[in-house]
Amino acid sequence: MADYVEPTYAEVNQDVLRAMMETGPKYWATLGTSIAVAGICFFIPWFYQLEVGVGVAGMNRSAVWGTYLSNFIFWIGLSHSGTLLSAVLHITNSSWRKAIYRSAEAMTLFSLITAALFVMVHLGRVWFVHWTVPVPNQMGLWPNFRSPLMFDVMAITTYLTASSIFIYMGSVPDFAAVRDASTGLRRKLYTIFSFGWRGTAKEWHTLGWAYTFFAVLVIPLAVSVHSIVSWDFALSLVPGLHHTVFAPYFVTGAIFSGTAGIVTVMFLLRKYMNFERYIREIHLVNLGKLLVLLSLIWTYINIMEVFTTWFSGSSYELEALEWRLTGFYAPMFWEMVLFCAVVPLLILFKRIRTSWRSMLIISILINIGMISERFIIVATSQPRKFLPNAFGFYFPSAIEISITIGSFAVFTTLFLIFVKWVPAVSLYEVKETLKPLRRSR
Amino acid sequence: MSTALEKFKKYRKPGYYDKFDYHWTMSIDLDRCTGCEACVVACQAENNLPIVGEQQFAMRREIKWIRIERYWEGEYPDIKLQFIPMLCQHCDQAPCEIACPVFATYHNQDGLNTQVYNRCIGTRTCAVYCPYEVRFFNWFTYEWDEPLEQQLNPDVTVREKGVMEKCTFCIQRIRQAKDAAKDDSRRRVRDGEIKPACVQSCPTEAMVFGDLNDPDSQVSKMARNPRGYHVLEELNTTPSIVYLKRVHTDG
Amino acid sequence: MSNKINRRDFLKFVGAGTLGAGAGFLAADASKMTTEFLIPQVNLPEDYSPGIATWYHTVCTQCSAGCGISVRTREGRAKKIEGNPSHPVNQGRLCALGQAGLNVLYNPDRIKTPLLRDGERGSGSFSPISWDQALTTISGVLGTLKIQKKANNAYLLSGGVNGHLHELFALFMDQLGSKNYLQHEFSHPASLYAANKACFDEDVLPYYDIRNSKYLLSFGADYLGAWLSPVHHSVSYGHLRQGTEQRGRCVQVEARMSLSGANADEWIAARPGSEGMLALAMAHSIVEQGLYAGADAGDWKQALGAYSPASVAERSGISADRIVRIATEFAAASPSLAIGGGAAGASTNGTANLVAVNVLNYIGGNIGEAGGILFNPASTFSIDAPRPRASYQQMLKLFASLRGNDAEVLILHDTNPVFTLPAAANVKEAVMAVPYVIGMSSFMDETMALADIILPLDTYLEAWGDNIPDPGVGFAVASIAQPVVKRLYDTRSAGDIILALAHQIGGELPANMPWTSMENYLMEMWRSVYRGKSDDSSDQGFRKFWTSILESGVWGESPQQQDRPHQAMGRAMLSAVGMAQPSFAGNESEYRFVMQPYLSLAFHDGRGANLPWMQELPDPLTSIVYNSWVELNPKTAAELAIGEGDVLLVESTVGRFEAPAFIYEAIRPDVVAMPIGQGHGNYGRYASGRGSNPIEILAPETDSGSGGLAWSATRVKISKTGRRVHVIKTDGTTRDLGRNILGQKDGHA
Repeated sequence: MADYVEPTYAEVNQDVLRAMMETGPKYWATLGTSIAVAGICFFIPWFYQLEVGVGVAGMNRSAVWGTYLSNFIFWIGLSHSGTLLSAVLHITNSSWRKAIYRSAEAMTLFSLITAALFVMVHLGRVWFVHWTVPVPNQMGLWPNFRSPLMFDVMAITTYLTASSIFIYMGSVPDFAAVRDASTGLRRKLYTIFSFGWRGTAKEWHTLGWAYTFFAVLVIPLAVSVHSIVSWDFALSLVPGLHHTVFAPYFVTGAIFSGTAGIVTVMFLLRKYMNFERYIREIHLVNLGKLLVLLSLIWTYINIMEVFTTWFSGSSYELEALEWRLTGFYAPMFWEMVLFCAVVPLLILFKRIRTSWRSMLIISILINIGMISERFIIVATSQPRKFLPNAFGFYFPSAIEISITIGSFAVFTTLFLIFVKWVPAVSLYEVKETLKPLRRSR
Repeated sequence: MSTALEKFKKYRKPGYYDKFDYHWTMSIDLDRCTGCEACVVACQAENNLPIVGEQQFAMRREIKWIRIERYWEGEYPDIKLQFIPMLCQHCDQAPCEIACPVFATYHNQDGLNTQVYNRCIGTRTCAVYCPYEVRFFNWFTYEWDEPLEQQLNPDVTVREKGVMEKCTFCIQRIRQAKDAAKDDSRRRVRDGEIKPACVQSCPTEAMVFGDLNDPDSQVSKMARNPRGYHVLEELNTTPSIVYLKRVHTDG
Repeated sequence: MSNKINRRDFLKFVGAGTLGAGAGFLAADASKMTTEFLIPQVNLPEDYSPGIATWYHTVCTQCSAGCGISVRTREGRAKKIEGNPSHPVNQGRLCALGQAGLNVLYNPDRIKTPLLRDGERGSGSFSPISWDQALTTISGVLGTLKIQKKANNAYLLSGGVNGHLHELFALFMDQLGSKNYLQHEFSHPASLYAANKACFDEDVLPYYDIRNSKYLLSFGADYLGAWLSPVHHSVSYGHLRQGTEQRGRCVQVEARMSLSGANADEWIAARPGSEGMLALAMAHSIVEQGLYAGADAGDWKQALGAYSPASVAERSGISADRIVRIATEFAAASPSLAIGGGAAGASTNGTANLVAVNVLNYIGGNIGEAGGILFNPASTFSIDAPRPRASYQQMLKLFASLRGNDAEVLILHDTNPVFTLPAAANVKEAVMAVPYVIGMSSFMDETMALADIILPLDTYLEAWGDNIPDPGVGFAVASIAQPVVKRLYDTRSAGDIILALAHQIGGELPANMPWTSMENYLMEMWRSVYRGKSDDSSDQGFRKFWTSILESGVWGESPQQQDRPHQAMGRAMLSAVGMAQPSFAGNESEYRFVMQPYLSLAFHDGRGANLPWMQELPDPLTSIVYNSWVELNPKTAAELAIGEGDVLLVESTVGRFEAPAFIYEAIRPDVVAMPIGQGHGNYGRYASGRGSNPIEILAPETDSGSGGLAWSATRVKISKTGRRVHVIKTDGTTRDLGRNILGQKDGHA
């Protein structure tokens, strides 16, 4: 790191704002491809499904939940790390967070939106989705607050709201920086975005206080959201889902997958937005350590799940476990174990955790493993519940696979739009980490 | 406050139908059931169940509110086959009822687990939660080849895509009988006056339907039979269907 | 002789028949053109009130059992078919196929107008014509034959028609001057009739009193599935099991477990064709043990000498101990009942098998006893002509004469012999050889496609008729079939067509068949029944009687039980006993398996295959839908490395077809079974092009005693084609995995 030259304040502004304002053909090509893929793979199949019926997916009688729901959990999971990590690190005063938290929080926001989209895709009659919202109506009908799905609606909307406010609030000084650096329409727009931020000591003080307040608020929310998502499953009687360990299992899995997601996004930002000077090896190494820790917790919970299942001695649970470990989807299960429990251990080697490329591969593998985990949870338990005569089988249809692929394009599109509207690296917080006396070179 | 709490507790107690009139219950005598599937067609005719087609059947998307499950035991030549009709158990503690975020399924005062098609938004959670797998989702809006639609029962709605459906204990027949009782200035429906389509058709009279709150009803007598049991009793769903196990006399 | 059959119940039912309503207006209404009104008429028809259901009683013709049905109609449309509670055959219950009758009425593939062939014969190309045109053409053809005194060259082949429609057919053919009237039905148990004729000298079947029996021993008869009168048997079965303090026991002897086998307490997988020998061995054992006390015990001892359990054990594959045990149980139970049918009656020794079953009943002392075999009273009804139900050999004879030079006209009514007879019978070629073929049917099928002219029939829910259930229920019963809805299309009932033809043909026919319509004919016939039974001869009295029958749906008489002299019976049986070894087409080394086709619960003999509800009805034993399959023992399958869904080539000495394999746990390793019903080539959108028809490759073996088709006497070989299909079924895992689903285990899973 000897050749690392710390940027000046001005350079920070220049670098970050350039990435925002100067748009090359590469960006447009990426954005265009991304929108096209989202349209073709996600929205067109979805509209077709709306017209014809959810039957175009591969779900059937015993497996009425399919990839739509497993993807929903995956995206909720992916959303986890961003805001949570940012908040935790903010409270613990870990200064290394500052270069990455903005994009991590953005990831949270957009994965939540993608997850919410999957709820829509999943529903049989999405045109009545507003019935899940407790709005007084002439029929005097209310949602069912006993339903874990209702908890979900509440948890996710709250989390979405809190994350949005959190990310927005943190961006206000940066919006002001954009305002100051731009002219014309953009200046007017960012004047509104920045709420007339002037950078007075009082403003900084209020922001600092409010930001910490939200950080404290967001942490339990993030934990609760995925706990609640897990209850969608754990509150059922279904063998393989009816486990008390599910809430921590899901939360750990979520943070695990989210952290891996951040590593991936960091790599891409660094590479394509030229943020090498801000997103540095220390970030990579710290996130790598976190990944190892999470992987170990995740492995432990998995072992516990298998153990308690075996310990129950119940025919239902044992059968479900056997099918999961040795049935049709067993290769996927073992692939998940490999990617989420074994591969992350490689991070223990210094050569690997300091190599951007190997960390990128590991982070992607972890998320493939996590997608598999969610799919296995959904696809291996439901078709084999209590009555053997009703045992079935589930395999996703082409439309489901297409929508799954398309969802990544939806996420990418949102992210690509984001980097042009909001500074992807927090200007003021990065500046805080710089040596204050250096003005310019 | 204490009275409100008591009221609430009483309301939550299984068997709270006492304060109402009926607790509809069905008994199925497996010693009589021959697995002839007459009930399956009776239900299809009465409740406008769709004809889903070969391809949908192959995907296991058949809609049969009542089905016959079969279980083999032993190996050839000492082999036995047993049938068990499976339909919505109208559980008093129904797992599906807590699942629905919009109250499309709930327990009515007669002990029926009802499904409100109009309210259903198709989360399918109820079907996941149901241990008996007797909830059926409309993957498409099914159509009838003309003029088969002329057969459709006008007392029962035809469901559209995206809606969950299941056995209702032929609630339309229950309604009719209750109305008839009211017209006759009777307070209660007579025992045996209501027969769901499956019960009506059963050639061996394996199924009996009636009010469990009436200790003299035929179904109450069946429910007291020592052969009686509930399927998946250990899940504590307290089903409204009492099965009477088959008698095995191995000779 | 005692008779405790639910006579009292029955009389109660008849008296209390409350459902239904007068339907006289319907006939008048039915002849009008259908008009639809957006707003109901101001003056509604008598029984038509929007929102209120009207029930009509009529008779089911989905199989030959003759169950009484009540059809629920709303706003002039049939909505549901239920059993008629007053009817003694089904007592308010109804099977799956019967309930699917609505799919017959509202089938999208019905023939809607008379059709005239406009392409090659057999090409299935037809164009619509008017009724006038059709009837004029046909009466012209028949009239010419009559004038030329060649009417005996006209042939009428009908399905299993019962009651006065049969009488009308017989009368018509007689008046025309033809003796060639036959009825064909695949499920007609020719061997059972022959055996009962030989033993009891009876033309009608006796009543098997399953209801009151305590030990039911069935040799191949799938009495709960497709044998004779399954709904009636099921009602009785329920009573046998749990209707009384003492639960009756059921034992089933058959090579492939049928629905009845699945419900039996004991299933005995005897070699096909050895059922009779087993019955005789049991009789032997009963006589040997001195449990038979009849005066002719000595004769029997001698007659049964050759059938010791030890000697039969090897031939049947059932151990001597087991035979003796069953025999002892059978003799000890009182009352007990042995029945035989299905594959046992369809081997080359079918009649002998069923005679043996009767012998077992005789030795067990069950004849003429409640809970055993009871005799139906001689028909008090006005049907004179016995139904000319053709055995396979008679059918072959018919086809031979159709192929001859003399045959001029063939009238086909509601029958599909091309489908229900083996390809070896060359039905198609015989029909094609007839210069002029008239078809009468509601549906286009393989046989109708060969016709020159097709007259579309009302379905049974739109037509008048009557029915005398056969087998009877121990006392005289008849029921009237009335239209329950206005006819949907420009169709007519077979009776109306015959009467119209009679009028148009002229000669002495109009005078001898003066009735204006089937309804009119029926009423006149029933008037004579009424006159014979009642002193009141006024028209008013008859009208009241008629209405009451329409209202209750059934007419019955207190039993006049007839005793049968036991001694004569014993002598008849002693002389009839004699078992030949069953023979099979195809040598055992090459054709390893005996193929047993069986009547499917959903399709019966194939007629139900065009009903979508039946196509979607999981088979009760395999849960398969929408296709046909070949059942194999798991051991056989393992040996030949066959898995579920492997498409097999099934070859007999006379034909071959392909069908997917299904591993069926309860079938002998040397037997393969297959349901009848699929494999239609031309039978509407729901049936055509699905599966294969096992009847097609049956060798033309017959039962030597009756001439009936021995459909369980064909050997086949099977080989894999290498293709594999997905067998569509509802069953997941068919083992309970130790879970307490059936309530048989203590404690929790």
